[in-house]
Amino acid sequence: MPMFDTLAYGGEKTPVVFDIGTAYTKCGFSSECSPRKIVPSTVKKAKTGELVNIYDISDREELYRLLIDFVHLLYFRHVLVPKERRVVIVESVFTPTMFRETLAGVLFKHYEVPSVVFVPAHLMALFTLGIPSGLVMDCGYKQTIVLPVYEGIPVLKACQALPFASKAVHNYLDAQLREHGIVRDSQGEEKPLSSVKDIVDENILEDIKVRCCFVTKLDRAQQIHAVSAGIKDAELPAPPPDVQYPLDGANTLTIPGKIREHTFEILFERDSEEQSVSTLLLDAIIQCPIDIRKTLAENIILIGGTCMSVGFQHRILTELYSLLNSPRYKNRLALKSFKFHHPPSKRNCVAWLGGAIFGIQEILSTRSISRDQYTKNHCMLPDWCSLYDYEESDNHSAILLKKEASKEVLPSVSKSPRSPVVAKKV
Amino acid sequence: MATYMDVNRVQYVAFSGTVAPLSKLYFCRHCLKLRSRDCVSQEVDSYYCSNCLENMPSPDAKLKKNRCANCFDCPSCGHSLSTRATSVAFQDPDNPGKSTPKKVYYLACGFCRWTSRDVGLKDQLIASGGWQEQENPNEKRISELLDYYKHLAQKDQTEREKKKYSRRRSYLHLSEKFGLTSHAIKKRSALMGIGGISIKDDDLSVDIEPSLAIDKVEELPDDVFTKPIVLTDVTTIRQRHANPDFQPTHISQLYPRHKTMLIKRSQRCKECEHNLSKPEFNPSSIKFRIQLVALHHVPEFRIMSLPNLQINKEVQLILTLFNPLDTLTHVALLPSPTDELKWDTAKVVLPTCELVLSPRDDTAEFDDTVDQQQNFKDDPSVVVSRKSNKIGFIVKVTPMIADDDVRISFIMKYDYKNMTPALQTEKKQPEITWLQFPVLVNLGKITG
Ligand SMILES: [Zn+2]
Ligand SMILES: [Zn+2]
Ligand SMILES: [Zn+2]
Repeated sequence: MPMFDTLAYGGEKTPVVFDIGTAYTKCGFSSECSPRKIVPSTVKKAKTGELVNIYDISDREELYRLLIDFVHLLYFRHVLVPKERRVVIVESVFTPTMFRETLAGVLFKHYEVPSVVFVPAHLMALFTLGIPSGLVMDCGYKQTIVLPVYEGIPVLKACQALPFASKAVHNYLDAQLREHGIVRDSQGEEKPLSSVKDIVDENILEDIKVRCCFVTKLDRAQQIHAVSAGIKDAELPAPPPDVQYPLDGANTLTIPGKIREHTFEILFERDSEEQSVSTLLLDAIIQCPIDIRKTLAENIILIGGTCMSVGFQHRILTELYSLLNSPRYKNRLALKSFKFHHPPSKRNCVAWLGGAIFGIQEILSTRSISRDQYTKNHCMLPDWCSLYDYEESDNHSAILLKKEASKEVLPSVSKSPRSPVVAKKV
Repeated sequence: MATYMDVNRVQYVAFSGTVAPLSKLYFCRHCLKLRSRDCVSQEVDSYYCSNCLENMPSPDAKLKKNRCANCFDCPSCGHSLSTRATSVAFQDPDNPGKSTPKKVYYLACGFCRWTSRDVGLKDQLIASGGWQEQENPNEKRISELLDYYKHLAQKDQTEREKKKYSRRRSYLHLSEKFGLTSHAIKKRSALMGIGGISIKDDDLSVDIEPSLAIDKVEELPDDVFTKPIVLTDVTTIRQRHANPDFQPTHISQLYPRHKTMLIKRSQRCKECEHNLSKPEFNPSSIKFRIQLVALHHVPEFRIMSLPNLQINKEVQLILTLFNPLDTLTHVALLPSPTDELKWDTAKVVLPTCELVLSPRDDTAEFDDTVDQQQNFKDDPSVVVSRKSNKIGFIVKVTPMIADDDVRISFIMKYDYKNMTPALQTEKKQPEITWLQFPVLVNLGKITG
């Protein structure tokens, strides 16, 4: 990578780019190919020493204090720069206003950065491709969000979201292991997992998911769903081999092949409103004007860490074609083909890379909020820095947000019959 | 119940209003104020490698992406790798059948035993360096994209300046399409316009192939249903994230990564911009050139003994007070005028006399010939103990609220002799300033 730093930009320092995801934060410098570090979006509470996710802090003052600690680590442990650099924050379109405002406060007031720009992850994905329009799906930790972008304008009214992403997978895996997981101790004695561990740490669940589980093929998935729906004569496909997973020094957990194959199905099962991560893509297309639908269907971009799961992308592709022939979409969408982009970065870093490309100085200077503006505006973010206009955004996103909230509380009600285990836990 | 165990029992109020134990505060001797982290700015002082303890000048560090040129982290466990030497028999090409031993080097982890040989990296003939760097296969494409968007941005900028209205018009067709008001478009285009500039622009000197979407994606390998997983061959998410460019999924793809440098930080007072803390340059030194921590400049209170705390009952509490300064210090305790922090839950009777503290003398500990009690005419009803620069004194406390911690506050006032070098040269006599800091004490739950 050529060093643009002082050569091309007349002494202006390259901006830092933070993509503070709900699970992992990607941090680095504009004009580089990849983030310097990928670190968990967690921070230690000073008083209790407990690690908390920065998006789980609801008290504004506490968030302010902990974000100071979090950003301190980003600056002085990970990107290692003095702070007089512009900042690009890549964010989700659903980032809570409180979070954004508090972060801006920390950056401007505590760290005295010269300017900050907030950019939506979905839009940034297009900057890694050199295209102006596309249908972007971000499947990360807490949510899966699909947002069409046309000629550089995010089509917010067509935005689709579901509160299902890797966290839902972890919860489901947890429930399944609790019910079927068998642990063998050093004496070779077998007992249920629930008798050995009260809580399986989410890091372990993530590790099991990443190293053992995969997204199965559509035809096998259909068999699995038929069985769980109780259809007569339906049979499960022969499961993949079990995995012996060392849980701790003494215990080995057997992860049944069935769980390895079924775990990701939580994302693809249709809920009571017939939605799954795959239908989000089609639903978003339907919400768009007819003449741009083909463009969107042929410019699909999958970003976010969960899209890196083995088999995930292929499943999306096959599901899209299969859904086209389903009663739900048959007469509503006249699409022939779907095409996918392959961004020049790992999927979990695509939004970051877009931010890093966006962050080249000439674009930034006109589009970010300077510290002066921020102070003059009584430490409030000017409304143009946000994609959202609450008063004018159509009911759609509001409905979406509402729907989400109800699902978060009762995942089992809206999901398939296989989920009661999840419900027990909730 | 010493405050050694729980530093949060006695806290001081810094100038910014932040409440913190003295050990977490700085004292700016230029502004004569207590500084918390909220009024201190941090700077990178120097870059160094924690493995080889080499300093790296800042431009070099930038060029090397803040990584040490010589040291590597184990891609498997993150521990530092060390270089191992071994000799290998080399076949002499001129003289087949005859082999000569040659010294070669490889990298090995002393912690998890990973070696560069595990992943098929060739041994090196020199002890340090020579390892081939991993190159991001997308580097060229990304640099094209950067160039392209940079030009677009420049063009956008000049166009904006030339005709401010035409750009707005170009979004009109979109406003019809998506039912947005032109007001909203205008607002949004400020942020988003850049993505929307047409890429089929003729007068653009830099052009780029737009990414081509294809109907193929990553497939699920067929053997996933039949092949057993060897768990130890699959990388963990941490190992993947340690290498963001490649995020290897199989251990055979692990590649040693240059060690990230650490930094030494210095801190500055945000108000007067003087240094409050500056470490020595030498990476192996843990000393500081400037270290204006509050503990060295402000008398420190600790709780010596806690009586039984009972509601509405006055008890005697013994606090100790240390003088960190090498001058005789006079301390007066004043009641807090207002309880802005809503801290107090108990009535407090403070000593009315001045407390005199001997200078700190590091040799005094070894010298017990002097009976200091004689030199100070202490009121025995207030000062109960005295040893070198430390006294113990009585404060009377009456807890007022039953279901809460017993908390008291007061203001400490003391004479501080400003010893800044500049002042010393001008005047012989150091300037004496009376400083006041609010002190908050938490005595814990009511016991009886
Ligand atoms: Zn080194
Ligand atoms: Zn290792
Ligand atoms: Zn100062």
